[in-house]
This record gives sequence, C-alpha cells and structure tokens, in this order.
Amino acid sequence: MLDFIQSLSDGVLFGATYALIGIGFTLVFGVMHKLNLSYAAASVGGAYCGLLVLKVFAGAPPLAVFFCAFLAGGLLGYIVYLACFHFIPISNPLATLMATVGMLLLVDEVIVHQTDGMPLNYPALFDDVMLRAGEFTLRGDLLMVFVVSILCMAGLLALLYRTRLGLATRAVSQQAVAAQLCGIRVGQVNAMTFVITGLLGGIAGAMIGASVGTLSPLLTTPLTIKGLIVTVIGGLGSIPGAIVAGLLVGGFESVLQQYRGVTERDLYVMLLLFVFLVFRPGGLFAPKEGRD
Amino acid sequence: MDFYFGLAQIIGVHTLLGLSAYIVLLTGQVSMAQAGFFAVGAYAAGMLTVLAGWAILPALAASSLLGAAVACAVGFPALRVKGLMLVIATLAFGEAVRLFFFNFDYQVARGGVKLGPLGGEGFRQIRYFPENGWTTMQVMLFIWIFVVLVMAILWWLDRSRYGAVLRAVGEDELAAQSVGINLTAVKVSAMTIGGAIAGLGGGIYAHYTTHIEHASFGILLATFALAYPILGGLGSVFGTVVAAIFVQGFLVEGLRFLGDWRNLLFGALIVLAMNLRPKGFLDAPTLRWIRRVFGGKRGAA
Amino acid sequence: MKKIALKGITAAVALAFAAGGALAQEKTIKIAGFGAKSGVVRSFGINSEAAMLAAADQINKAGGVALADGSKAKIKIDYYDDRCTAEEGISVARRMAGTDALVGVGPTCSNVAEPLFGILQKKAGDASDSGLQFPIFSDVAIKGGLARISEWSFRNVPNEMTMYSSMFYWLKQKHPEMKTVFGGVEEDFAHSRATWYVVMKDRAAANGYTIAGETKWLLADTNFATQVREMKKANADVVAISAHPFSTCGVLKEMQRQGVKPKLLVGLTSTSSLETMQGCAKQAEGMMIPTSFAPVNKEGKAAADATAKFKGSADLHSMAAWENMFILKQVMESEKISGNPKDVQADRRKIRDGLAKLKVTKGLLGDTKRTEDREADKPYLFVQAKGGNWVVLHNPL
Repeated sequence: MLDFIQSLSDGVLFGATYALIGIGFTLVFGVMHKLNLSYAAASVGGAYCGLLVLKVFAGAPPLAVFFCAFLAGGLLGYIVYLACFHFIPISNPLATLMATVGMLLLVDEVIVHQTDGMPLNYPALFDDVMLRAGEFTLRGDLLMVFVVSILCMAGLLALLYRTRLGLATRAVSQQAVAAQLCGIRVGQVNAMTFVITGLLGGIAGAMIGASVGTLSPLLTTPLTIKGLIVTVIGGLGSIPGAIVAGLLVGGFESVLQQYRGVTERDLYVMLLLFVFLVFRPGGLFAPKEGRD
Repeated sequence: MDFYFGLAQIIGVHTLLGLSAYIVLLTGQVSMAQAGFFAVGAYAAGMLTVLAGWAILPALAASSLLGAAVACAVGFPALRVKGLMLVIATLAFGEAVRLFFFNFDYQVARGGVKLGPLGGEGFRQIRYFPENGWTTMQVMLFIWIFVVLVMAILWWLDRSRYGAVLRAVGEDELAAQSVGINLTAVKVSAMTIGGAIAGLGGGIYAHYTTHIEHASFGILLATFALAYPILGGLGSVFGTVVAAIFVQGFLVEGLRFLGDWRNLLFGALIVLAMNLRPKGFLDAPTLRWIRRVFGGKRGAA
Repeated sequence: MKKIALKGITAAVALAFAAGGALAQEKTIKIAGFGAKSGVVRSFGINSEAAMLAAADQINKAGGVALADGSKAKIKIDYYDDRCTAEEGISVARRMAGTDALVGVGPTCSNVAEPLFGILQKKAGDASDSGLQFPIFSDVAIKGGLARISEWSFRNVPNEMTMYSSMFYWLKQKHPEMKTVFGGVEEDFAHSRATWYVVMKDRAAANGYTIAGETKWLLADTNFATQVREMKKANADVVAISAHPFSTCGVLKEMQRQGVKPKLLVGLTSTSSLETMQGCAKQAEGMMIPTSFAPVNKEGKAAADATAKFKGSADLHSMAAWENMFILKQVMESEKISGNPKDVQADRRKIRDGLAKLKVTKGLLGDTKRTEDREADKPYLFVQAKGGNWVVLHNPL
C-alpha cells in the first residue's frame, strides 16, 4: 500500500510538468483552434536559452536562469507565430500543422548544433529538500514545480478573465469574425496568445529542466506527446482540465510502471488513452459547445 | 548509379507511406496510425519470408491484407472521434503498435542462428532480395511497379463516384451526411485502403533495410506519412510523389553538399514550403496549369 | 613595402603552382567516414570525423600510403552524416560505394550498422548474393556480434564481454567485502540492453556476485523515482547502470535525492565520455567504467592532441576511428593496392581480404587481437570519475 501511495504521489507531482506543457497546447488550441506541435520543443529551447545566463555570469542564481528562460520562451513563441501562423491562411489548418512540425525539427536541430546533442546540467531550487514521513518521501523541487504551475494557472485565468486583453482573447476564441467586427485586431490577439503561451512554455521548460536535472533534445518528442495527451484528456481549451489531466497522466504512468514494468507502461498508457478517447471523445472537461 | 537506384527505392517506399495517409486525409481525417500499419506490414512480411520461407509476392500480399484488417478494426472505434481527438487517438494506437513490437519476441533457430524479432533488439537478416541475387535496379523496378499500381488505383478511385464521396465527406461531413452518404462506411473504407497501402509499404521497407526495430516506426515516421500528402497537396496523387522526392531526394540527399547546414535547413525548408505553398506543391491552380500544358483537350475536366 | 608585398605574392603564386603541379602527379586514396552528426548523438560523429582527419593528416605528413607501383598516395577523407537512421545509413553506404572510396569507417549507431551490414554481401565472392561489396570498418557501433552479419563488415570496437569480465574479477580481488550487484538498464536501446542482460549480469554472476535485482527505464524517461526506490530496497553493494549519459544522469540525480549510496557505481562503456561530465559531474563521482582508451601513454596523448586540433575530443569511440586509419594504411600497403581509379573494386576486395587476414593490430593502448568473426579484442583499462574528469583507476594489462 505504501508503495502504491508513494508511486502515485511521485507520479502526480511529476505530472505538474506535463500540466504546464498541456496548458500551453490547450491555450493555443482554445484561441486559434489550431495545433502548435512545436510548443514543447520551443519550451525546451527557452529553457536552454536560460542557461545562457550562466555563460555570461558564472554562478548566477537559478532564479535568474528561470527568468531568462521565461523571456526567451516568449520570444520563441512570437517567432513560432510568425513562421507558422501569421502568413498561412486560416483556412489551411493542415499547412500550419505541418509548418509547426518543421519548426519542431528546426528547434531540435538548433539545440543539437549548439550543444553537440550533449545533455546539460540544469540548476534547480529546493533540489536537496526531501520531505519525509517515515518511509514516505516527497521531492521538494517537484513541490515547487507544482506550486509554480498552480500559480501559472491562476495568473493565466486572471489574465483571461480580468483584463481587456483576456476579454479580446476570449472573444476571438469564441467567434473570430464577430470579434473582428467589434473592432478587435484578431492578428494582434493571436500573436499575443503565442507570446503568452511562449512565456509560459519558457517557465515550463525551465521547471522540467530543474526537475529532471538535465536538459537534452531527447526531451522534446516525449513532452510533445505528453502535452497533447494532457490537452485532449483535459478537454480541448480547458485550462483547469489540462492541470487535472497532467497530474492524472503522471500518476497513472507511475502506478502502471510500479505494477507492470517500464516496457509495458507506455503500452497501457496508450491503450487506455485510445479507449478513453473513444468512449469520452470530449475529454474530462469538455467545452460546452465546440466549433470543431 | 546504384546510389540513385537505392534512393529511388527509398522514395518509392515513402511514397507508399504517404499515399496511405493521402486517402485517409481526403476524408478529412488526420491519422497518426499509419506508422503502426506500416510496422504491422514490415514485421508480417519479414517473418513470412525469413521464418516461413515464403516468396516475396505472397508475403507482401499477406502484409497488405493484415495492414488492411488492422486498419479496418481500428477504423470503427477511432472514427467516433474527430479533429484533434482523432489525431491523438490514432497516435495512441500507432504508439501502442510500436510498443507491442518492442515487447514482441518470436525467434526460431535456423542453421545454428536464431532468427526473428527479438523485442528491443529488433529483427535482422531480412535478406530476401540479396539472397536471391536481385540487383539494386531490379529491386527499384519491383518497388516502383507497386507504387505506380497503387497510384493508378487511387487516381482511378479519385475520378470515380467513390472519390467524389470521399472528398464530399472531407469538405463538409454534415452536408455529406444530409445527402445520404454513410459516413462510417466511407471513413472506415478509406482507413482500410490506407492500411492496405501502408502494410504493403511496410513489407517492402523491411526487405529494403534488412533490419527492423520498433524505434523506426515512431511518431516521426507517422508525421512524415502525413507530411508527404500535405506538402504535396491533396489535389492529386502526384503531389505525394513530388513531396516524397522533395523530402528524401532534395532535403535529405540533395542538400548533403551543405554539410552541417543540411540538418538545420530540413525543418526550416518545411516551414518555408508551407508558408509559400499552403495548399501543397500541386495545388488547384498548378494542377490546372499542368493539365492545360500537358492534357490538351482534357484541360476542361 | 610594396616590393615586399609583390615578392610575397609572387612567391605565393609560385608555391601554389608548385603545389598544384605536385598534386596533379600525386595519387589520392579516398576513405569514407560516416556517422551521426545530427540529433543527440552528434558529438560522436564530430569526434570520429576529427580523429580520422587528424590521423590522415599525420599519415600524409609522413609521406602517405605506399602503393603497388612504388609511388605514394595521400589519404583524403569524406565524412557523411547518416542522422542515425537506417535508411540514411543505407543511402550513405550506396553513395560511398558509388564514389572511388576504398573503404568506409563508421557508423555511430548500432541501429544503422545492423541494416548496413545486412545489405552487404553475406559471404565475400558469393556470386548468387547481390549484396553490396564494400568493406566497412566500424569504429563506434558497439552492440555485440554485429560483424558476424557480413564478411565485408569489420569492427574495431571494444569487447564488452572481456572488459566487464575482467573488471568484476578485479573488483572481487580488490574489494572482497562487496557481494551483491544491482542492475539498472535502459531498456529500449539495443546496446545498453544487451550490455546488461548479456554482459554485465552474466559476468558479475560468473565472478561470484549475487544479483540483487534489476530495474528498467527508457532512453528518454525523466522520472526515475520508482526505479531508484527498487534500487534502494535491494541495498546492493554495487550498482551497475547500463544506460547512456542522459538517463544515467537522471538516475544518478534521483539516487542522490533518495540517498542511495552504493559502495561502488559501475557504468556503461559509452558513458565514459565528456557527455556525462557535462550533465552530472557531481553525481557521477566515483563511477567506474572499463574503457578501451584513456590518454595514458605518449601515443594516446599525441592522438588526443592531434584530434583536438580538428575540434574533436578523444574518447574510446573516436580513438577507434584513429586506430582504424593506421590499420587501414598498413593493410593497404601489405596488400599492395594499386590506387588507380579503374581498380577500385579490386582494391576494395584486397582491403577486405587484408583485414580478414589480420591476427593482431596496433592500438593506442597496445596490441589488439582480431577474432575469427571480424571483431576486435582490444586492450582496456578501468577509469573512474573524479572531480569532473575520467581518471585511470587500474590498468589490468
């Protein structure tokens, strides 16, 4: 029983990183009804950019690295918007999808060229803290990631529901044409959405780097898949859904690993996902009325 | 010269992969399961020629049928979901197939050597072509006979009533349904044809590389299956061929002289291509132009 | 001032002509290198290419390769990127075979070597087999038993069986108090998987260790809590990790968090590189690995320095590429290849036969025995991570 609780809590805490990536996917999908497959790669790219701080000021505190990753993530988000969304007509969802795949490959390869593909050490906060209760342990750094992702969600919801930008974003996501008729610059709102998700991605990348301890381009594909899974389980466009789904996926994965071993773990995760989607196509928190 | 024949072999195999996604895309479904059907075909054909001692043609026929059967079985449940949900559902299925082969051991001793798939270590020595003395050119021609055959069938389907039905479903499901089209039948049949093509392509692939392992059939391959028809354009089967030549012939092999820049340009040129040709290389105006120039009287069609 | 410049230019032009004239008469021999220069294994390709270029440079400066007609030829290296994929590896092999390259050195990844050796002719000279007839002399791809696939495939990679056998034997003598071994294996990568199940586990048991258990993870995994807990429960004296640097680092960091401190850490051969030190130098401290190269003698240091000039780092893999160049030079000279473009296929066959004949080759650490199935039995030593570097712990030879 202790094993079960332990692996569940390990997994759920680690799921916070999946949730962070899932929020980004879901936000872009919610606003533009399009998929940005390069999101996880750009997030990891942002985290790599954070390491530049250490090159300039050796011994800079981890927070400075995270902050730099945050900014770089926003910039990368804007670049992705320009490269994959701005010039491609809205009626071509497949073209934007493929462009983001190209972007994913490009970001990956740029990272590889800069680092020769070698894993890099990533600084962390509270990585030496272990909360203990008898045999039971909780990782301090993962608790921090957990708190950060809750804060991000709160910030994002505040942005969406308390600011004019958020109002415009929601308007565009509900009816782009009507929003345009009301005088909202749809292009600008879309670009802002990308910058915001990019900033978020930068944090997510940094948190993932911090909780794994090392960064490698190997991370991008699994994170992309996890992010997509979290997005659909949570319900497209639902931010609280993405958080719940992220924790759920993390927990599931960890428990299955405990009882079925690593070679079968992903097999069961994928089969469960398939069955889940077939029987509950809307996800956990399905939006009331989808346009799709 | 052998090098170019070899390259043509790869392009042929990838064209088949792309065509398997093409027909599914026509109905508006984005399927990431094609790499899974491809893997099923590869393992099936490899096991039939190496372990059961079959000739290549019946083995490919079997792999193609198996691919179709699996696709059909997946088609029914998967097509309950739409849009992004379908992308993820099929992706989950494709990954599950890959992970099945990751856990799949079936080895038989042949002449003191154990042959057959061995989990994560893969399946080696699928050497039907070289063992029977086929030259690179012969293999290339063999592959392209299938490619041309499949293209001809798809081209003909496209011009038939069935093709019109496929595209109608792709354009607007609701409208198609309202004129009495059976959505499930159309989608599942397209998926099945796609599965057959992918199974065939996979069977050829296994004999082309002589060694297959689960890692070759991952998300990247599934993405490329979609990339060919999207890059090439959904207007015509020829788009997929053009895109396979563009990716394998130009981006991968043609840019080799650029050294390290080749890898960076790979992604960048895909982004650029989609910005410049959002409807694919062979979009409607280009196709019209081609028909006008080459088609003569059929230009009006 | 002007005069000097003018003189300089004249001299340069004259020199260029002289060099051009000399080049026109000089024969060149092409050796093709190939490996991964993209993706996460890019550093392997860069290092191998640098080592090959450095070795060629050294051979050329010493006069080059003696040909059958008594003339000397310079070596030219072409390096191809195979992106660590089967299809590109096959394309590259066909491309190399289409040029006048006499032999290929590579690849990086075992999953490229498998299909590549598969398209080669299985038995040399078998007319019924239409496989490619091109000798390949691998430097990096290390998965056990690959060269058996074709008679045109040769390898100069360390024999993990011998190395780990010897290491566990030495450990038993040196630290008799250590009794149990726990294994951690990266399950979805052919090399790491085979090394644990076939090599480490078997050799540890053969040397009197009790296997206290094993745990598995995947190449791109990020959360190792469950696995490390199993490791903690087993409480073994030795923890052997058969994984590549990225997941090795992840596991080591999790071990630190959970406070798992075995008496000794053992790692996978390929982990004894710069990568591990970049990812987790602090946590890898004390890890012991058998390797077939460390700059311990004069030749080794010189090779490492020469490679560094071509912007590569010397490790067990890149130095195998270095050794291959000198072995190939020796074979070309002893087999009396003609070096004429029209004799390319005959020369390739001569090189193949020459490589097959070798019983012993010179390596940087000493003599390497060649086995019947075209593999190498390389000398080795044990290194240990200390303060961000790999230092030699013991030289068993």
